[in-house]
Amino acid sequence: MTLLPWKRVVQPGGPQTSVFQDLALPLLPALYNVAFWLSRNAVDAEDLVQETYLKALRGFGSFEPGSNFKAWIFRILRNTYLTSRTGLAARKTVALEDELGNAGDQGAALHPEAAIDRQTPEMNLIALGDRAALHAAMEQLPPPLLEVVLLCDVEELKYKEIAAILDVPIGTVMSRIARARAALRRSLAASNITHKGFRA
Amino acid sequence: MSDHLSPSILNSLADGELTDSQRAIADAHLAECPSCTSSALFQSLLKSATAQAGQRHQLPPQFAERLVRSAQQENPPSRVSLQPAKKLALAGWATAFALLLICATIFVVQRSANQSAIVAAQNAALVTEACDQHVATLAANLPPQVLSSDRHTVKPWFQGKLPFSFNLPESLPADTKLVGANLTYLHNQPAALLLYSIGKHRVSVFISQNTSAAISAGISAEQAGFHVAGFSTNDLHAVAVSDADPARLSSLVAAIEQAQTSPQKSLP
Repeated sequence: MTLLPWKRVVQPGGPQTSVFQDLALPLLPALYNVAFWLSRNAVDAEDLVQETYLKALRGFGSFEPGSNFKAWIFRILRNTYLTSRTGLAARKTVALEDELGNAGDQGAALHPEAAIDRQTPEMNLIALGDRAALHAAMEQLPPPLLEVVLLCDVEELKYKEIAAILDVPIGTVMSRIARARAALRRSLAASNITHKGFRA
Repeated sequence: MSDHLSPSILNSLADGELTDSQRAIADAHLAECPSCTSSALFQSLLKSATAQAGQRHQLPPQFAERLVRSAQQENPPSRVSLQPAKKLALAGWATAFALLLICATIFVVQRSANQSAIVAAQNAALVTEACDQHVATLAANLPPQVLSSDRHTVKPWFQGKLPFSFNLPESLPADTKLVGANLTYLHNQPAALLLYSIGKHRVSVFISQNTSAAISAGISAEQAGFHVAGFSTNDLHAVAVSDADPARLSSLVAAIEQAQTSPQKSLP
């Protein structure tokens, strides 16, 4: 890092920069949203998006034209997050073990009713659109589960794209999605019970 | 009735990831199993609710502009062709050379067009920022950080505060006087903000290091009723903003520009 950042010579970008901007700028809101969820504060989210943007711009030469730019830049965001201060801290505190195995079906065979709770009192909460309860439930998810929920539900990426972003097999993506949604259900159900308890 | 649908099937159903045959089997099961239908409905509701709740954090205003500006200070590497060597080997040298010439021509033309657009955009941004700071300085109505009409006091005050130096004119146009100076930042660079008065009109003169070849040598513009004038030397870049008469503002700018090129008497 230079002590005199203003000494850097400004070199305007060429046509590639323009192409890159056309692809990247529309994705900034989505990148920032995911970055905020993962880093959990605005300052780190801005740093994360800025570093991602600059890394992507520098590495744009390696981007294969015609391939999925959104998946490509989200992968850079995710890798940048993993090496960031918050990402490293999260990795220290969260030991990610795929308890259900890489195939969700195996886990379902072992714990069929635990994986899908067929008594769904939390359904009322969702029907009522309790945004606060959902936010709280999502905040409780460990980063590896939160990121699959964000990529799958919010960004509407396909399993194959998520697998490429996270650099894991599709089976692991499916397993994490199952675990994440089960965790959300449990949190919402607990929240529902608490609400009812207060009302009683 | 067959076994209940597995969690992965229910999730894949909600996510639209089932193949046609898997979807047909799942639909057939859902038609006769209320429990799985309820679970599938819940999965869909949960996905929809999560999608809405997940879009929680809004991009801060101006963040995109700041990002693009910081990216302009980066030097993006030229694109590397990833064509396999085998394909390149098939191409004749003559064809390659012709293509190279065409590409180079296109690149030069586009670069030239981009360069002019960048210069215009940077000049406009500089003028806007200078005017904003001028208005903010007037609105604050605070005494300058160095309050002096003596150039031998004002210039040394910047020692150690700026990574460059500049000269102040010994003689100023009629009814023009130095009021003081502030240290400020313009265009992401540290700059000297010299405060002059022409009659009762206040003038802000920003002097910064000339690090960008993209900024045009001279600026003359109108912005929100203010007159803007400026000049560039090899090392420095100056922008003056005021609501004073444009001719008198230009005289002051010319005096400052002349001070940068003419030899100065040594300071006491």
